[in-house]
Amino acid sequence: MTLVTVLLVAAALIGIGVWGALSQQSFVMLMMGIEMMVNGAILAGGAFWAFTGGGAPKGQVLVIVAMAVMAVEMSIGFALVVAVYRARQVDMTEGVSSLRG
Amino acid sequence: MSDVVSLSPMLGVAVIGGTLAIGAYGVVVIDRLLYAAVAGWPLSLAWAAAQPAREVATVIRRQPVTTEAPDMILWVLAPAAYAGLAATALSVVPLGPGVVVADVRTGIVVFGAAEALAIVAIFLHGWAPNSPLPMIAGYRFVGVALSYELLSMFVLIAAALPAESLSIGAIVESQQGLWNVVRQPLGLPLFLVVTAGVTFTGPLDIVDANDIAGGGAAEDSGMAHLAWAAARAAMLVAFAAAAAAVFLGGWIGPVLPGAMWMALKTLAVVVTVLAGRHLLARVRPERFVRLAWTVLLPLAFLDLAIAGAGSL
Amino acid sequence: MTLAFVVFAAAAVWTGYRVFRTDSMVRASFLLLASFLNVGAILVLMLAEYLGTALLFMMTVEMVVMALFMVMFMMNPAGLNPMEMVHQPRFAAAAGIGSAAALAAVALFGRFPANPVDPNAATIRALGSELLGGSMLVFESAGVTLLATMVCAVVLSSHRGRFGDGDEGSVAPPLEPGGDHRPEDDLVDDADGGHHMHHGGH
Repeated sequence: MTLVTVLLVAAALIGIGVWGALSQQSFVMLMMGIEMMVNGAILAGGAFWAFTGGGAPKGQVLVIVAMAVMAVEMSIGFALVVAVYRARQVDMTEGVSSLRG
Repeated sequence: MSDVVSLSPMLGVAVIGGTLAIGAYGVVVIDRLLYAAVAGWPLSLAWAAAQPAREVATVIRRQPVTTEAPDMILWVLAPAAYAGLAATALSVVPLGPGVVVADVRTGIVVFGAAEALAIVAIFLHGWAPNSPLPMIAGYRFVGVALSYELLSMFVLIAAALPAESLSIGAIVESQQGLWNVVRQPLGLPLFLVVTAGVTFTGPLDIVDANDIAGGGAAEDSGMAHLAWAAARAAMLVAFAAAAAAVFLGGWIGPVLPGAMWMALKTLAVVVTVLAGRHLLARVRPERFVRLAWTVLLPLAFLDLAIAGAGSL
Repeated sequence: MTLAFVVFAAAAVWTGYRVFRTDSMVRASFLLLASFLNVGAILVLMLAEYLGTALLFMMTVEMVVMALFMVMFMMNPAGLNPMEMVHQPRFAAAAGIGSAAALAAVALFGRFPANPVDPNAATIRALGSELLGGSMLVFESAGVTLLATMVCAVVLSSHRGRFGDGDEGSVAPPLEPGGDHRPEDDLVDDADGGHHMHHGGH
């Protein structure tokens, strides 16, 4: 377990997240793709903290901020899904190809 | 906390497995005794002690049946995961003075994570059979579980405040003068609500309830049914041990050895929860959700405020 | 240690990949949870114990919420029937592989200082002191952001909008009495012919 190997795993997770977020049609699955990207970012942040930061507590604070970002993304995302579904009964990205009304 | 005895891995597994097995057996015996007491039957310890064996013999001879296109892997794994989480939760709880199987610095967070994962195990156990009633039970449980999940974290963090540590061993040490049940009077009742919820006993038995024909366990048969029931009892033991350690002073007590006090206090919590099972009616899920968010959660905030004020 | 890392890393990537290849959303969300659990385990291996266990705890609850949402939005809440819901698969796969390769190149060819964390350091205590000391502003900002998120989420998902119920579109009232003016009427361009009916004055 070195910095490079952990970063490679993080890169793979972020790549999977990009692929998932771009290819999935359902809003819920799209959000899972974004979560996967943040997952990789958290792992990379932890790796930098552990291997290059010498355990400086500010590195862990950065990871906590990433977790907060994930919580915000998730709750606002689901709230938007609920709002869009209320207005037009769709849960697929194609259903809101125009953001009118 | 320098005098902590960390058990070797093999011994640790044996201790946890043994404690959970004996505890689960005890849970069934106590449950039958309480049932007999409430029903007005003559109390017989011999009858109750033989009851688990009798039930095993009945269930194990039943024909195993399956459903159409279930998710077999998850269905088989769910009871194992639930029992494994009970073992994880128990492994961070000190069983005697300084004797803890996994002396992690973040014991209380590990316990909370095991509790949250137990919710996943219960949901998947209902979802996997691909059958309507278990699935309804699983979703219904998730709706209720989310409403009490916050309670448990607040009361556990409140208990960690005076100890100035997330380790459960340190939390027990901090109760040397005064138990948390007195210092934070709201903590234990709220934690018992969570215990009833995660082990779905008594008023919060909304998962495997009779009103949906057995719910999550409706399609279980034979060994699978037995495994699920055993895992439930094991989870109750783990939660009772945690309640005893976090709120009732753990191993602290006069005369008797520490491990004995711990066992007695765990027993007291088990009896309380199981008495609730036989004496209280089941609540309707939507009523409980409202109660949890509007009454119990503010009480948990108050508990945290009391703990904060007390630690100034 | 190395073996544990290899197992957790392989499991994290494999379950992460399976998230978008499985045909059931319930399986997908719990595979994502499995991926997070493995990342949490790697964090614990890297001595970030608090972050690792907090990640486990947080993501478990989050995925349970996701499972709850599935019953509301899926055509098939049980999720055991096969389905395929993807678009632009080639482009997405290329973008995914491309971004992973770019990040991997940074990892392989970048120069980073070697300054590993001391295994005996009181990292959790240091994190707590940092959060309530030097990084208090960051921590509080995260808290306020989460509070704002809660308010926004309630406003967005509330059934009643400013102009009526959400499932009726919550549209603004007509500008003139008796009209049924809807905001999208203003936005329709005239390219689809002049046959668009305007109500009211003309």
